[in-house]
Amino acid sequence: MKQPNRVEGGLIDRATELKFTFNGKSMTGHAGDTLASALLANGQRLVGRSFKYHRPRGIFTAGSEEPNALVHLRSGARQEPNTRATMAELFDGLTATSQNHRGSLEFDLMAATDWLSPFLSAGFYYKTFMWPKSFWEKVYEPAIRASAGLGRLSMQDDPDQYDKGFLHCDLLVIGAGPAGISAALAAGRAGARVIIADEDFLPGGRLNAETLEVDGKPGALWAAQAMAELGAMDNVRILTRTTIYGAYDHGIYGALERCTDHLADPGGKPRQILWRIYSKRAVLAAGGTERPIAFGNNDRPGVMLAGAVRAYVNRFGVAPGREVAVFTNNDDGWHTAADLLAKGVRVRAVIDSRDRAAPVTLPDLRHIRGAAVVDTTGRKGLKSVTLTDGQVLPVDCLAVSGGWNPNVHLTCHQRGKPEWRDDIAAFVPAGPLPPGMAVAGAASGTLTLAAALAEGRETAEAQIGDLGFSSAQAEPHRAEDEPRECAPFWYVGESRKRAWLDLQNDVTVKDVKLSHREGFRSVEHLKRYTTLGMATDQGKTANIPALAIMADCTGKTIPETGTTVFRPPYTPVPMGALAGRARGKDFRPYRLTPSHDWATRNGASFVTVGNWLRAEWYTRPGEQGWRDSVDREAKTVREAVGICDVTTLGKIDIKGRDAGEFLNKVYANTFSTLKVGKVRYGLMLREDGICYDDGTTARLGENHYVMTTTTANAVLVFRRMEFARQCLWPDMDVHLISTTDGWAQFAVAGPKSRELLRKVVDAEFDLSNEAFPFMGCGEITVCGGTPARLFRISFSGELAFEIAVPARYGNSMMEVLNKAGEEFGATPYGTEALSVLRIEKGHAAGNELNGQTTAHNIGLGKMVSQKKECIGNVLSQRPELIRDDAIRLVGFRPVDRDRKLVAGSHFITQGETANMDNDQGWMTSVAYSPNLGHSVGLGFIKRGHERMGEIVRAVSPVQGQEMEVEIVSAHFIDPEGERLRG
Amino acid sequence: MAEYTLTPAPPLAGTDESFGAMRLTAPADLTIVNIALPLGGEAAALAAIKAGYGADLPEPGASVLAGGARLIRLAPDQAFVLFTHAAPDGERVVADKLGDAVYLTDQSDTWCALSLTGPGARAALERICPIDLHPDAFAVGHAARTVMEHLGTIVLRTDADSYLLLSASSSAGSFLHAVETSCRNVS
Repeated sequence: MKQPNRVEGGLIDRATELKFTFNGKSMTGHAGDTLASALLANGQRLVGRSFKYHRPRGIFTAGSEEPNALVHLRSGARQEPNTRATMAELFDGLTATSQNHRGSLEFDLMAATDWLSPFLSAGFYYKTFMWPKSFWEKVYEPAIRASAGLGRLSMQDDPDQYDKGFLHCDLLVIGAGPAGISAALAAGRAGARVIIADEDFLPGGRLNAETLEVDGKPGALWAAQAMAELGAMDNVRILTRTTIYGAYDHGIYGALERCTDHLADPGGKPRQILWRIYSKRAVLAAGGTERPIAFGNNDRPGVMLAGAVRAYVNRFGVAPGREVAVFTNNDDGWHTAADLLAKGVRVRAVIDSRDRAAPVTLPDLRHIRGAAVVDTTGRKGLKSVTLTDGQVLPVDCLAVSGGWNPNVHLTCHQRGKPEWRDDIAAFVPAGPLPPGMAVAGAASGTLTLAAALAEGRETAEAQIGDLGFSSAQAEPHRAEDEPRECAPFWYVGESRKRAWLDLQNDVTVKDVKLSHREGFRSVEHLKRYTTLGMATDQGKTANIPALAIMADCTGKTIPETGTTVFRPPYTPVPMGALAGRARGKDFRPYRLTPSHDWATRNGASFVTVGNWLRAEWYTRPGEQGWRDSVDREAKTVREAVGICDVTTLGKIDIKGRDAGEFLNKVYANTFSTLKVGKVRYGLMLREDGICYDDGTTARLGENHYVMTTTTANAVLVFRRMEFARQCLWPDMDVHLISTTDGWAQFAVAGPKSRELLRKVVDAEFDLSNEAFPFMGCGEITVCGGTPARLFRISFSGELAFEIAVPARYGNSMMEVLNKAGEEFGATPYGTEALSVLRIEKGHAAGNELNGQTTAHNIGLGKMVSQKKECIGNVLSQRPELIRDDAIRLVGFRPVDRDRKLVAGSHFITQGETANMDNDQGWMTSVAYSPNLGHSVGLGFIKRGHERMGEIVRAVSPVQGQEMEVEIVSAHFIDPEGERLRG
Repeated sequence: MAEYTLTPAPPLAGTDESFGAMRLTAPADLTIVNIALPLGGEAAALAAIKAGYGADLPEPGASVLAGGARLIRLAPDQAFVLFTHAAPDGERVVADKLGDAVYLTDQSDTWCALSLTGPGARAALERICPIDLHPDAFAVGHAARTVMEHLGTIVLRTDADSYLLLSASSSAGSFLHAVETSCRNVS
């Protein structure tokens, strides 16, 4: 028979039959089912094995708090472990398999672990696997990991898409149960922008699971009609299948929307969206979670929470058992008996721990007063329960109710501490709540329907009242307050068998008592020692009963014992959703230089420089490796001409009457004296006098300068200058704007550079040494009128220019320069040759300006003007920074010219031991110089400028290398600078 | 006649994609010129703008269509002028209208632009834009600087269902991918 446990009614679509499989077995369910309700409908009570003892487990709840019924959902690359069957919406073709067993679910070979349980108490790893120490990593840990744990990853790439997004509202309503819907209606009708989010696919909360009425209608119908009204409002956005998982600063909430998890195929759309919701106010209406009572063998399939039993019978039309007993300490448990009887399910008895009359009259129902369940039987499914008086009831389902806990989690995400309320025997939210948040309904401890509806409305009205909205609602919703009395009862002391608290992490009453015996007094220590509440369900059904037992052990009250800290996320958030679309090459933005296309077509290999992709070298046919290309490029620049895209250098357009004075303040050297049409090298210091950036600045007009920065610091320099402009010297007329991306800029370097440019620059511009000398600049045109800027500056030490054109022409310009250069033997060159050339020339770069070095260290101490106020010049003169024996930047070459210098080597005076005390400095940059035929290096060494010709040891313990090197001028090529002035 | 000629190739040129009722295009020949108002010369600068474009420069965060251009006030002392103009001499065009009352910097090639039009546009931007684009909070003509997918962006509402997005031209590929993905995900 199909679905033998179906009973009449429910909010499922019986006309739509859905096929699914569980462990390969074909089953059917209906639209509106969860996997859990469909499994129960098919009589499948055993659905998984427990974490530690591999005990058979069934379905315990009907919601996101489920600790037991975790499955692998779907198969292949889409297989997702640890999916709660109670939250998985059934779809046609769904496949699920059980987790955490070797062999079949029914005959788990690891179930032997359960017999060893006397040895596997809390902390057993720490006690048992102490010896021998070396066995921990290689033997014990792998074995433990293999036997414990939950589901398995597919080990394939996630084929799904994920997205993120941003939402804004006046009022965020968290939870669409009675309080939440009532709140959203009040705020929506008043015209506020409302977002109402609920983790379920069917809004209504407990209204869908109960038989209560609102406004004279069945609760579920009222909820559906209210949601329809909200859905028709332009100012209301409904997010179903959406969990608000965290409360963050400034009214920002994290939300996970499961968009296509209920579909067989996501259809190319994002599976899940991680929303960041900016709310002005929020109403937390997250409801409550029922808690169990602990007794011997209370983990068998068939033992369920009483409210969950009602949810299955009322909402899903499924009887979780044929012979049911109810075990309760409160009035609410009695509703379960009433609802089961109404659906024709046999209820053996209500076992009430309280010795008092029944709160509801149910004819023919056996009421066992002042009793409790001490044990159960049924290895793979409940067969009977044994009561404190010894009588045995043959039942296949036991509905347990220990009262309800408000879902206070989000109220604690900013360190709010909940308070204990004796009348409901539960923690309720207390200050400080996250700013802007108020709580309504069961989440605030208002556990009855009429009161929750009223509180939802009143709370929302107060919240939006703060924002200037006035109430538009006429009448309160009509409903009754159901009896809810509860007498605290946490565990059955008479039980001799293990009584589970945390079903997911297999923590029992005995473990909590043991941890107390072993001296763990803080609730946070209890948690970590026993692993209570540390599984994926975060102990939603386990923590409060465990606290109560700990309180019992210590002789304290529950509020004195306190709770552990609640942290986001409320329920698990998949890694895929946290990653969103940031994967593969789109993990972060990439920036392309204007000549990227040309470079790609001309053999370039690219290197990542920050977000930029830069050509590192251009391989020509026949070249065997990068060194062939780089050597050729570097030689060609010195012998003919090379072209390099240097667009990535930061460019800042500076305008204003005070621009020159402003530059005097941000640069260590003086700029106000720079003539129009000239460029100057500049050095920037931090406030503490350390160098942080360098570059050239050109004066293109009386009030107009163009600054270049290093590639790495383009943003930093801009930001610091903007700070200086706005905050340090707001009275200066100076304006900054980045033009880094606006101009494609190329270095044209080498003895033939002028001849090459002559072919490109329009004829009316004189490029002769007299008309356009070293450090000259100007606005020109190229290729028949295209605006351009020309700077005669040289990083390579050769006769060189940098030419800039609007970025749109950059790719074309690269092509033109290379074509025009053909007759001179021109080559494009990349960052590697650029680096070789600057090391040969002794120019400092990032390796030398590493945030620890001063102008004095690099040999540019005289550039730091003391005649003016500028950032860093005062502190740069601290005695320690200008010592005579400070490290100085010099060049190094190996005494044995065939050896390769090692960057990072430390210098030791000959004859001294290589240790920290004798450390003289370090090698910052090395390269093979194709122009000199040997390795060259730059580095800092104490008094380097006075030690020319000295041989020292260069020691690299990291590389295990040592060699003798000679201290030489950093300017390996053309130390007089004749070439660049030629 | 010069021996060589340069061919312009703006990074997103020719982009024209449809996603359901949404259309994503890169406006051709969009010229952007930055206006900086001199310190102490603000009144003269605003007067020059009024004279040159026939409109007052709006408050920061707002824009106005005037004199064949859109003026976007980005900061108390800063505005962008956007207009359609193919030649790389936008600065001169604006200088002809405003004289030397302001400082100008051509920004046309610094930015790339995408125009997103259609009923789903706001839903698409919700996926990447942290700014509240609800019409009550961000009316037609409003503009804001923000960050989308790690990229600095200026978003401008040009019509009820139309937005102009500006971002750095060097990362145009990533920017297009971000907007395309958003459109695809909501259409």
